[in-house]
Amino acid sequence: MGLVTSVRDYINRMLQDISGMKVLILDPETVSNVSIVYSQSELLQKEVFLVEMIDSISASNESMSHLKAVYLVRPTSENVQKLRYQLANPRFGEYHLFFSNLLKDTQIHILADSDEHEVVQQVQEFYADFVAGDPYHFTLNMASNHLYMLPAVVDPSGLQRYSDRVVDGIAAVFLALKRRPVIRYQRTSDTAKRIAQETAKLMYQQESGLFDFRRTESSPLLLVIDRRDDPVTPLLNQWTYQAMVHELIGLQDNKVDLRAIGSLPKDQQVEVVLSSEQDAFFKSNMYENFGDIGMNIKRMVDDFQQVAKSNQNIQTVEDMARFVDNYPEYKKMQGNVSKHVTLVTEMSKLVEARKLMLVSQTEQDLACNGGQGAAYEAVTDLLNNESVSDIDRLRLVMLYALRYEKENPVQLMQLFNKLASRSPKYKQGLVQFLLKQAGVEKRTGDLFGNRDLLNIARNMARGLKGVENVYTQHQPLLFQTMESITRGRLRDVDYPFVGDHFQQGRPQEVVIFMVGGTTYEESRCVALQNSTNSGIRFILGGTAVLNSKRFLMDLEEAQRISRSGSHMV
Amino acid sequence: MATRNRTLLFRKYRNSLRSVRAPMTDSKSGVGPVIEMASSSLLHPKRSYAPVSTEDPGSSRGGAVTVGLPPDWVDVSEEISVNIQRARTKMAELGKAHAKALMPTFGDGKEDQHQIESLTQEITFLLRKSEKQLQKLSAAGPSEDSNVRKNVQRSLATDLQFLSMELRKKQSTYLKRLRLQKEDGGDLEMNLNGSSSRADDDDFDDILFSEHQMSKIKKSEAISVEREKEIQQVVESVNELAQIMKDLSALVIDQGTIVDRIDYNIQNVASTVEDGLKQLQKAERTQRNGGMVMCASVLVILCFIMIVLLILKEIFL
Repeated sequence: MGLVTSVRDYINRMLQDISGMKVLILDPETVSNVSIVYSQSELLQKEVFLVEMIDSISASNESMSHLKAVYLVRPTSENVQKLRYQLANPRFGEYHLFFSNLLKDTQIHILADSDEHEVVQQVQEFYADFVAGDPYHFTLNMASNHLYMLPAVVDPSGLQRYSDRVVDGIAAVFLALKRRPVIRYQRTSDTAKRIAQETAKLMYQQESGLFDFRRTESSPLLLVIDRRDDPVTPLLNQWTYQAMVHELIGLQDNKVDLRAIGSLPKDQQVEVVLSSEQDAFFKSNMYENFGDIGMNIKRMVDDFQQVAKSNQNIQTVEDMARFVDNYPEYKKMQGNVSKHVTLVTEMSKLVEARKLMLVSQTEQDLACNGGQGAAYEAVTDLLNNESVSDIDRLRLVMLYALRYEKENPVQLMQLFNKLASRSPKYKQGLVQFLLKQAGVEKRTGDLFGNRDLLNIARNMARGLKGVENVYTQHQPLLFQTMESITRGRLRDVDYPFVGDHFQQGRPQEVVIFMVGGTTYEESRCVALQNSTNSGIRFILGGTAVLNSKRFLMDLEEAQRISRSGSHMV
Repeated sequence: MATRNRTLLFRKYRNSLRSVRAPMTDSKSGVGPVIEMASSSLLHPKRSYAPVSTEDPGSSRGGAVTVGLPPDWVDVSEEISVNIQRARTKMAELGKAHAKALMPTFGDGKEDQHQIESLTQEITFLLRKSEKQLQKLSAAGPSEDSNVRKNVQRSLATDLQFLSMELRKKQSTYLKRLRLQKEDGGDLEMNLNGSSSRADDDDFDDILFSEHQMSKIKKSEAISVEREKEIQQVVESVNELAQIMKDLSALVIDQGTIVDRIDYNIQNVASTVEDGLKQLQKAERTQRNGGMVMCASVLVILCFIMIVLLILKEIFL
């Protein structure tokens, strides 16, 4: 069962037993959880005629006692306080409270205390505490994502909150799947270790009754890893549809905000929805590369034009009748075609303006092939090129630095200097900070395929064979990790078990949680892996969904804090 | 998927705290008879419509807040949903009548036709009436109540549109099948006539030959008249459907678009309702200042003056 289905089931169950006109009250996080899997028209079918945020409910005094209130909120102390006030001055006839994660007894006590008018009919925990964008990919949309890069001493309470939120999210995923996993973590990451241990404590000690599910023959696996083990993937430019949209424009909760581009005519749609559940064209094209998408869109436009032409050619009464019958579908098709055409057009414009074909070729070479000298030449040329934007220059130098960290330090220094002189907004030392965080000493996995003999051989073979598409030759480190798990060869040294957990044989379900965020390239990798029927189902999750802009933002924020911290004595 | 019910624990705490608060609740007992909403749903199509019951809820609720009377527009929406339900049952009947009419019978089939026509008319009437009432649900003012009204309107509009489309589909399949049948039957008759005329041609004179011709012509005339009537029907129903769809399309949500997203609706509710209010005010102003209103009033005044003059003329002459 996919994650999208799980959240939908929760919402369906929540609404089905409550009859009459309802108002659904959400908080800023659950609104994302719900909006991404449930549509407004489906809510209307379930007689939910008003959706409000928990903040704005208190603002009005209008009594709507003919409505029943259904709350779906996170069990935070702020929400409980707001509920206290709202229960003491109830506006609605009945109150049904659903919390998206575990409630503490004290919180229940507080709520019971404020329910003087006894309007609360039920209090339940429905664990829909994650954003399920695709069936095998979830995110927690966390705001202060950069905290994982900092040592605990810098902001202990912040890191504790961060870790708590992650543990809550992971727990909700496993409760929704009704499984209790064996837990492993990446040894080199303190944050991953902490999260793995706290999750184990929650699942096996604190709430062991709740998590005591029917055992299957092999326990599922939870693997907690750190983004910094693969800093290359978020820095690369993407060429497959979903990843590309996120990289160039930005995809938030499966919505694209075209206002960010600012070059659209007035009557164009401002925001569009890209959801594999609702859009058949997107579902079949989300993992295809840009060239193939272009062809498929052209085909779609041709089909649509044929339909449009036949609609204009109305001669008999039958034609008229048929036109009116098919009008809603025609309108829907028209909307869909125009949405995809707009997106692809805008992305083509951006590719052209930023010379991304040129830049991306070098990026892919840096990520996949060898040759330090040639790489240095290529990067220098692009740094000198006027039409390359600042962020692309920064990315190129970072990729070079990550790969050739130890080779030819003189040339590396020259690149740093050139970057600083070319890009006025460049924060000094950001590349060095990245190396400190994710340099070759910090990484566990064989990111560039040059540590392990087997990987070196594989790379050489691939180089000889040639690649189908230069722009999509990179494979994220996650692919190797998944392969190791499939073969049962994930090294204990690198990825130890928590406590005395142990796994016999191969797991059949694996949840990989990446602290620091995932990318759509990685979710594509997981989806393709799942479709190979290897007998193992992978689910990927992270604290956020990154593109290069977001990753760099997190880096900058972490650098700023660590700098200001080091100045404090 | 796992869930956990905390209601028991909650009730336990609430009851224990209630005994602490007991002296307060006695003073706040029931505020007179209050109508409690029935448990069956208001607008759910599958459940039957049950009347509201009058009960004294003093025993179940110890406080001052009780379920009050819903606002007036809820009655309108209830009426619409009842009509929609009625239309739905009639559509089922219509389906059966269609099937019966299509079965080969020896009788004239006029009775079936009549029934089908009357059912179709009733359904169309119900749909039109519901659609007109739907417009009444529109509200002005950026209140939460207006959002609820708008959403109720949208939900009913979707149901109406779905029913209209279904009616159209049923009609068109029925007509298609009917035409096929008639053609087959007509062909059969034509063939019979043709073969008999060929056989008789050699035997009989021109008089009889022309008789056959006349009968053939009469038959084809009858068929074309019927054809015309059918086409007329189709045109009418297409027209009506187009009208309904045009009116409803403003209300119905396009699935899969941004308008169908819950988060989008929450953000935009405040701004669109304000915009709508401004538009309405502007429209009102332009209409008041409009030249049309001026012309109309001037004309009316002139008419009155003319009538007065006429009367005066009659009196003094």
